[in-house]
Amino acid sequence: MAAEPRVMGLFADDAKAARAIRELAEAGFTFRRAHGPIPSDRIREAAGGRGSPVGWFTLAGGIFGFAFGFALAIFTAAQWNLIVSGKPVIAIIPFFVVGFECTILFSVLGNVVGLLVCTRLPDFRGLETHDPRCSCDRFGVLASCPAGREGELLEFFRKKGAEVRVWP
Amino acid sequence: MNRPQNAPDARPFGKAPAVFGALCLAAGAAAFAFGLGGERPGRAWQALLVNFLLWSSIAQGGVLLAALACTVRARWAHPVSGLAQAFAGFFPLSLICFFLLALGGKSVFPWVGEDLHGKEAWLNLPFLLARDGLGFLVLYGIGAAFVLQDLRLRLSAGNRGGALRRWVAGGLPTSPEESERLRRRRRLFGGLYCAAYALVLSLVGFDLVMSLDPHWYSTLFGGYHFVKAFYLGLGGLIVLAALLRGRAGGEVPAACLHDLGKLFFAFCLLWADFFYVHLMVIWYGNIPEETYYVIRRTVTPPWNALAWAVFLAAFAVPFLVLINRRVKSMPRPMFALGVLVLAGLWLEHWLLVGPAFDPEAVELPLGALEGMVCAGFLGLMVLAVSGMLRSFPELLPGARPAEP
Amino acid sequence: MSELSFARIDETVLGTLAPPRRGYWALVGALCLGVLLGAGCWAYQIAVGIGVGGQNIPVCWGTYLINFVFWVGIAHSGTLISAILHLLRAGWRNPIARAAETMTVFAVCCAGLFPFIHLGRVWQVYYMLPYPNQRQLWPNFLSPLMFDVIAISTYLTVSALFWYTGLLPDLAAVRDRAEGFRRKVFRVLSLGWSGAHDQWLHYSRGYLFFASLATPLVISVHSVVSWDFALGIVPGWHTTIFAPYFVAGAIHSGLAMVLTLMIPLRRIFRYEAIITVEVLENVAKTMILTGLLVGLAYGTEYFIAWYSHNPVEWESFRWRAVGEYAYGLYFMVVCNVLLPLLFLVRSVRRSLAWLFGLSLVVNFGMWWERFVIIVGGVAHDFAPHAWGLYAPTVVEYGIMAGSFCLFFLLFVLFCKHLPSVSMTEMKETVAHGR
Repeated sequence: MAAEPRVMGLFADDAKAARAIRELAEAGFTFRRAHGPIPSDRIREAAGGRGSPVGWFTLAGGIFGFAFGFALAIFTAAQWNLIVSGKPVIAIIPFFVVGFECTILFSVLGNVVGLLVCTRLPDFRGLETHDPRCSCDRFGVLASCPAGREGELLEFFRKKGAEVRVWP
Repeated sequence: MNRPQNAPDARPFGKAPAVFGALCLAAGAAAFAFGLGGERPGRAWQALLVNFLLWSSIAQGGVLLAALACTVRARWAHPVSGLAQAFAGFFPLSLICFFLLALGGKSVFPWVGEDLHGKEAWLNLPFLLARDGLGFLVLYGIGAAFVLQDLRLRLSAGNRGGALRRWVAGGLPTSPEESERLRRRRRLFGGLYCAAYALVLSLVGFDLVMSLDPHWYSTLFGGYHFVKAFYLGLGGLIVLAALLRGRAGGEVPAACLHDLGKLFFAFCLLWADFFYVHLMVIWYGNIPEETYYVIRRTVTPPWNALAWAVFLAAFAVPFLVLINRRVKSMPRPMFALGVLVLAGLWLEHWLLVGPAFDPEAVELPLGALEGMVCAGFLGLMVLAVSGMLRSFPELLPGARPAEP
Repeated sequence: MSELSFARIDETVLGTLAPPRRGYWALVGALCLGVLLGAGCWAYQIAVGIGVGGQNIPVCWGTYLINFVFWVGIAHSGTLISAILHLLRAGWRNPIARAAETMTVFAVCCAGLFPFIHLGRVWQVYYMLPYPNQRQLWPNFLSPLMFDVIAISTYLTVSALFWYTGLLPDLAAVRDRAEGFRRKVFRVLSLGWSGAHDQWLHYSRGYLFFASLATPLVISVHSVVSWDFALGIVPGWHTTIFAPYFVAGAIHSGLAMVLTLMIPLRRIFRYEAIITVEVLENVAKTMILTGLLVGLAYGTEYFIAWYSHNPVEWESFRWRAVGEYAYGLYFMVVCNVLLPLLFLVRSVRRSLAWLFGLSLVVNFGMWWERFVIIVGGVAHDFAPHAWGLYAPTVVEYGIMAGSFCLFFLLFVLFCKHLPSVSMTEMKETVAHGR
């Protein structure tokens, strides 16, 4: 439970928001999060954007899926060692289709798992400091400050051309 | 009106390409002549056929990228659009080679003189030469017209350069309306080139590759040929772009190289998909009339080794390498990959063509002769592309791009 | 598009979610009736037997397969627009991406029903699932029908997840401006999305992977569907061109369905500033390409049928042009290849009436293409004494009508309850000036 007051500055422009993020630390405030209706490269860089590990989950899913698809087809064929239509019991050419589709399927499932893990969704507590204008046309920069310096933080945002909102 | 502010260095490599190209060409021509005079002239003709197909495909596919980018208004391709058009320099050489092939007779077309039970209406030398010759003329003519419009939009007025450049520069636009007209014509010829590409390369695939074994057929063969040609064209373009890295005015931006790499990856998959589609349908139907063609090329020695080499060089290695994000914007690895793919697809041409000429072969018909003839064609391509870039340095990425 | 602001986009799109007028409910009611008709016909078939359909020897695959291929085909265009054009950075796809992806999900749902319908004894469908059982039976993955099971399930799962992921930021936007019960529902549906910078970081990456993975599905799934036919040895079916030919045809019919859906949607919801005529024009231009590809395939098939000098193959194609179902061939060539060439004329592809009319024509033609291939192949194959004809029965027509009604019902319900244009992508378009 943060005892520090949190203030959000709502900018109409992501460039201004990014500048504000960069100058928050110098001014002695703590940057928490930036919200926006669209992804913004400027905000990502200002907030110290690293790469996203989602791809590793996707890759893991894909490798598993590839193995699983072939394993499924080969296992089910091997249970009944009967030549059907003159084709070998275990035939890589048609089983490749199964392997390929399972690769895609499990890559996507891995992707979804990766997304949920990395974004920590569902996350309803994050909505406590969410302003509805951030899903419309404003980029909200959420910062916290030591108790008592609230006025300065409000002034900081106002000087940068933002509307402000406070969460005590 | 176009006036490139920083006219790029007209000779990014100096005289080296011309010397290299001439040497290679001389070696190839000598090898071809020796082969013709030797005990198996057929091998020389087959080397000519294979290399004609491969290098023409590289040129046709390369120009297709420029035409396609113009037709669909792809802005990302602007830096390399000029380089892609430089491959059009090979078109006249390709046409000459095609008519040279006609002299090969049965060595190039095994069905000459055979009883084809009615197929002679289609597979006879005069008709084939006429229709394919006409096809190439149409395709290359449209391609040249497309490149001409684009050059006229890039060049600035001036009297320098050789006869070709002066002729092109004779039609420069003198007003915004004329520029607009040139742009419209360029888009028209770009679109027509794409349509002609699909039709003519399908025809070439059927007539010059599939018909070598006149009793076998596949409806997708034409499509396979033109997809392979685009894959080849992209490979050639990547090799060229990578060679120009670091040269003043010739450098392709990393982002564009990255995009080119992604398209290359996509067509690696598409080419492999078309190959697999053939394999799957023929394997599954298990009809002997169809399967013998595939079995001979993928199962029976010595061709099975070639098949594995093709699979590795043209699919497996490029696929695994190109999955990585960073490698696509690095010129050196992309150069190596491009060369590997071109080599792999050269082998693939041999895989398709070789067994048709010599089904009983005990060892692969790939020796010094084939290598030297390939070098000869490499020389031709180098001369053609460097010649185009020397006459029209505005095609280089460093020049101000033509307006979209 | 420069006069669009973020707020205006939200206003336009969220405004469509307002309580609908009576006309809407009348439409929903009519479509529900259609679905019930189809369900009734299916129930009748389950009770009486698969024989109530027209399929028999030799034409064992009729409208159930035609509609299956038709709906899967329509689904592919949606993925082309939302995934492939995203990878190619074609910004014109942004206004229609959401509706296209939705079309995909619902079309795959409709398509997925038809294998069940065609089973006859639907209650035995679990035979096709690979699970350990006391009879020790396993499905045979050598069969193209089993490829279908895997491919269609994969496509449905991937499309649904892609669709939902794309919806997530928009669901949050709806939540933020909704009240009461609707607010609670969208709060749950949007999973607490707050548009935080770290959420966007992972989201963008994940979305790119979704698009990259959905792209090979477009090629592979319809190739697998085409192999239901091409892997058999029936003349007219057993041909290597089927896989890319079906994919091109699928995209062709899907683009036509996109136009059929977008033009009324645009009018009713007043999306003219968002779904501009340029967007529709670009769809039409793409249809020129796909129509020509399909035409190339038709021509190649005929050429090779002659070239092969295989008497059975040639007879199959000769009969296709002059036999009992010849009108199907002419429908398909005229409607799929010749008429879409009218889009080469600029005024035609910018006229809403022409766009809508030609989109219906193409869908009609593409349905007949599947008829010509599927019915025409087996009706006239190897042995002349085994040749036979086929006509759909009333039950089949009922089920077909039901499937169309189901598709449009789902789409109509979607339009009124979920944002039919991706507000997020439209805002990105406006922000980047693309």
